Amino acid sequence: MAHRIVGQPIARLDGIDKVSGAARYSADVTLPRLCWGKALRSPLPHARIVRIDTSKARALDGVLAVLTAQDLPDLLVGRRMFDMPVLARDRVRFIGERVAVVAAVDPDVAEGALGLIDVEYEDLPAVFDLSDAIEAGAPVVHDNPGAYEGAPAERPHPNVQSVLRFKLGDVEAGFREADRVFEHTFTTQLAHQGYLEPHAGVVALDEGGRVQVWASNKMPFRLKELLALALRLPPERIRVNLTPIGGDFGGKGSIMDLPLAYHLARATGRPVKMVMRYTEELMAGNPRHPSIVTFRTGVTKDGRIVARRVKALFNSGAYAAFKPAPSVNLGGTSMGAGVYRIPNLFIEGMCVYTNSIPCGHARSPGEPQVVFAGESHMDMIAREIGLDPAEFRRRNLLVDGDHLANGHHLEHVRAAETLEAALKASHWDEPKPGPWIGRGVAMTHRHIGVGFTNARVRLTEKGHVILMTALPDTGTGAPLVLRQIVAEVLGLSLDEVEIELANTDDFETDSGVGGSRVTHTGGRAAYHAAETLKEQIDAEAKKLGIPVTSLAGVAQAVAREGRTLEASHFYDAKSHAAVTSFTAQVAEVAVDPQTGQVTVRRFTTAHDVGTIINPIGHQGQIEGGLIQGLGYALMEEMQTEDGRISTVSLGDVKLPTILDIPPLTTVLLHDPVGPGPFNAKAIGEGSISAVAPAIANAVADACGARIRDLPITAEKVYAALREPRS
Amino acid sequence: MTRVIRLSVNGTAHEVDVPTYRTLLDCLRNDLGLTGSKEGCGVGVCGACTVLVDGKMISSCIALAVFADGHEVTTVEGLAEDERLHPVQQAFVDAGGFQCGICTPGQVVSAKALLDENPHPSDDEIREWMAGNLCRCTGYYKILESIRTAADRSRA
Amino acid sequence: MNAFDYRAPRTVDEALAILREYGEDARVIAGGTALVTMLRQRLVRPGCLVSLRDVAGLDRVDATNGALSFGALVTHRQSETSPLVRERIPVLAETFRRVATVRIRHMATLGGALAHADPNQDPPVTLLALGARVQIRGAGGSRELAIDEFFRDYYESALAPGEIVTGVTVPVPAAGSGAAFVKFLPRTADDYATVAVAAIVTSDGDRCRDARIALGSVGVTPLRGRAAEALLSGERMSAGLLEAAGEAVKGEVDPLSDHRGSAAYKRDMAAVMVRRALTQAWEAARRP
Repeated sequence: MAHRIVGQPIARLDGIDKVSGAARYSADVTLPRLCWGKALRSPLPHARIVRIDTSKARALDGVLAVLTAQDLPDLLVGRRMFDMPVLARDRVRFIGERVAVVAAVDPDVAEGALGLIDVEYEDLPAVFDLSDAIEAGAPVVHDNPGAYEGAPAERPHPNVQSVLRFKLGDVEAGFREADRVFEHTFTTQLAHQGYLEPHAGVVALDEGGRVQVWASNKMPFRLKELLALALRLPPERIRVNLTPIGGDFGGKGSIMDLPLAYHLARATGRPVKMVMRYTEELMAGNPRHPSIVTFRTGVTKDGRIVARRVKALFNSGAYAAFKPAPSVNLGGTSMGAGVYRIPNLFIEGMCVYTNSIPCGHARSPGEPQVVFAGESHMDMIAREIGLDPAEFRRRNLLVDGDHLANGHHLEHVRAAETLEAALKASHWDEPKPGPWIGRGVAMTHRHIGVGFTNARVRLTEKGHVILMTALPDTGTGAPLVLRQIVAEVLGLSLDEVEIELANTDDFETDSGVGGSRVTHTGGRAAYHAAETLKEQIDAEAKKLGIPVTSLAGVAQAVAREGRTLEASHFYDAKSHAAVTSFTAQVAEVAVDPQTGQVTVRRFTTAHDVGTIINPIGHQGQIEGGLIQGLGYALMEEMQTEDGRISTVSLGDVKLPTILDIPPLTTVLLHDPVGPGPFNAKAIGEGSISAVAPAIANAVADACGARIRDLPITAEKVYAALREPRS
Repeated sequence: MTRVIRLSVNGTAHEVDVPTYRTLLDCLRNDLGLTGSKEGCGVGVCGACTVLVDGKMISSCIALAVFADGHEVTTVEGLAEDERLHPVQQAFVDAGGFQCGICTPGQVVSAKALLDENPHPSDDEIREWMAGNLCRCTGYYKILESIRTAADRSRA
Repeated sequence: MNAFDYRAPRTVDEALAILREYGEDARVIAGGTALVTMLRQRLVRPGCLVSLRDVAGLDRVDATNGALSFGALVTHRQSETSPLVRERIPVLAETFRRVATVRIRHMATLGGALAHADPNQDPPVTLLALGARVQIRGAGGSRELAIDEFFRDYYESALAPGEIVTGVTVPVPAAGSGAAFVKFLPRTADDYATVAVAAIVTSDGDRCRDARIALGSVGVTPLRGRAAEALLSGERMSAGLLEAAGEAVKGEVDPLSDHRGSAAYKRDMAAVMVRRALTQAWEAARRP
């Protein structure tokens, strides 16, 4: 069904502020008497703090305050599990942990002061390796993690933060039924979300004693709640003012340095700005978990999967504090089942403490790790049993009525169609254009996110509508999508709908941005609010005897009575919809046998989508996620040695540049069955997870080298090509 | 030690007393209140801090403010004329060459410098010139399209 | 950063006088593309920064007696786009074009690049293959060094305290020669080389009269592949000869393991890239 405004490729007018430099991000906020905060960070991965002497730092000209844990309340912070101090009190657990904080008149003086703080440490035994950390006798990162608020109860080892399991059927029986069983292990690297805006925030205490906050955080209501806990203040004392965010990708949901900015603001009587240098992001941001994932799958002679066991270990680093899920684990663990019907399934994901950088959520948390393993594993099995990798998948794809690993029931399943679309568009069956060229396919699926969101719409006297939302702009184009929805419902042109950005005083709560939920929950809130407003307008128009399309007339009539027409809606998507979105991707690569270098010649991405509200924004999400997947597959890595991250600048992280992008073909399969407004689904996290295995599978096809460890570097392929074949 | 520098920014003359260690980026953002240029990587790699000095694009986060003494600086705030977006800026808006926008000032300043020097670049020339402007949101496809659009429009 | 003194002399003599005055406490800056990052990270803490940016007369590229002379303040972008360089020593223009990004090339200078002495940089590799000569001035007067003698160690050049590079002279390769610069970038396009090779060969029919091979990112300084050069000299070009030249290079390089590759991988890639550079250079030499 064609809509008037929904589905139109409308340009984003928030672009005007962005292309002109007028958009003010958190680091751009300035207030009178603003001063700058900087954190001193631990140089050791595990040590007792013996003594801190801040006297020389305090004496430096331009320094306004220096604080250590002694100056702060003794409490722990987190997003779900509260195991991290705001400043290390008696012990540091990773290189980069905050030990002291300085406020000064300019950031250079603040950084200079850090060098004058004397800290005496006593080394403690440290553990860095993921497998070692759960061996008997491993150094213990937290003496009693079970005592922390929010800690899951199950703890097979003191260095385990959480265990998440999914079960279907009887996996042992399943393996007995199998004709052949295959087991493979894969590893993935520490990888930063790579947003170009480092964490930034400004905290000011206003005359009314309220705490005003501007922060690069995409869930301002949760931020308010967590800050209230961290600062021991009633939530009403805190107001989070929304600012646009320079990239989130899962990494900007924590309180990060904001409590420190608050305490400095109290100590100095001035507003405090804290902006991380990128080196600090790489030491103490909350990047994507490294993993070791083992898949064991049993298949019948005719290539049907009858049993699967997945064990995923995630290196969570020194604190669990950055993980927001109630399980304190990663949702991607459930992707052990992939896009397949597996009657007997056992998946176990374990988040482990080590003396390394604490990790958090990154686009599709846990999925790129598990899907890399699972989809590589599928190809390896296919080759062993003599089936084309596409055919092996075909024989096992989910169909309508199947259940996911988490028990969710699925309808409108288009896995097979999505796979066929990708294969066709990538010319899968055609001969390769030359030697050392290969094609690889991989699939994944991604649920439509859930959460709770507010929208409020009101009619102005001009007959325009103002939509008030407290969803921060993380760049995905959500505000335009919401405007399109409201305009569609009310029969307005897009110019007649404006966004007003709320702050945390204006609504009770909101789960904010993330988890691919905004088009769904934000969209539904806006949709229903607009529908309610429409009903009000229609009723008034009828009363007045004027056409329902004369919004200005209605508004003015109502204004003469001292009223304004306004409607609110709080949409709470309590559970996941019975639909998901499938992605199938094909990479075509060329391998240089003399160097092992992998070049992606072409890439095809097929998506099973609902109604698309804004095609430009939708495609932008596909392209952006895909190139993040490309970087994860081939280039990006935060290298570490004994807990020290040697990738000290963004330049070393190796984000893809414009020269690294492959020619791309996108195929969209439209099925308007999503739970979002106008039957929309979700797209924000759909295109990232299958990229790495598609490339790994293509490399194996091109030259026989099977790389089980990300990133797929030229050196690894070169070494694999020179290994004697068994 | 501080030094008084005299520089022209977007056509306006400024006199600023800066510590010798101040970067041009910090001077623009904090001393002159022009927050359009951003600090991303802080080491001159990502391009978020791109400004033009005497028409040449540089990384302002690794240029000292004192280097700009006596020179003309153009920032993203100086591209529009009389409230009208520069054609490059308009092209980015129309083609959707941005998402979160943090890299966008650097992208448009770099793209403007490209088209000033080479009004009809090939795709390869665009990609080579823009290789120093990282973007994490868009995957670059729409940035390329935006620049092509700007170049095509100038031909029309 | 500390609040260093900042001086911006207008002549080389003035600059040298300031360097004498501050001694070890002074650092010279031109483009600043390496130094400013080091200052921000507090890796260097000079009492005085001596900027050469306003020194007159060091920003020209001229042709003189079968060579091109570059002032020390010539930017990489200037070298890359100079009609003289593109016409007479195209491999050098091509090399500059491969450095980092246009933004960096607008600021980075030839003199600064040499003084920085980072073995992962591109221009020194090609300059080494071309047999460039470096002009230096200090308190004791002027001197000239063959570039082979200019690089001493990782980040260490032959510049004595108080000395600065004032220019570089690069002989134009002889007629009948062909040159190539190969930069191996297995990660992203804007990276330092994992291995870089510059090769210049002169042909004599189907024989290689002589070859000059230089490599970057394979040791603490850029290196000449002299054993490989010796193998090639006077020999008939063949696949076998190229193979042998590549193998010979492996014994001459001493790469460091880093993010861009292990030492063993870089050693193997040195051979591959030498073969490729020689192949391209030979093809160029043989073109009429």
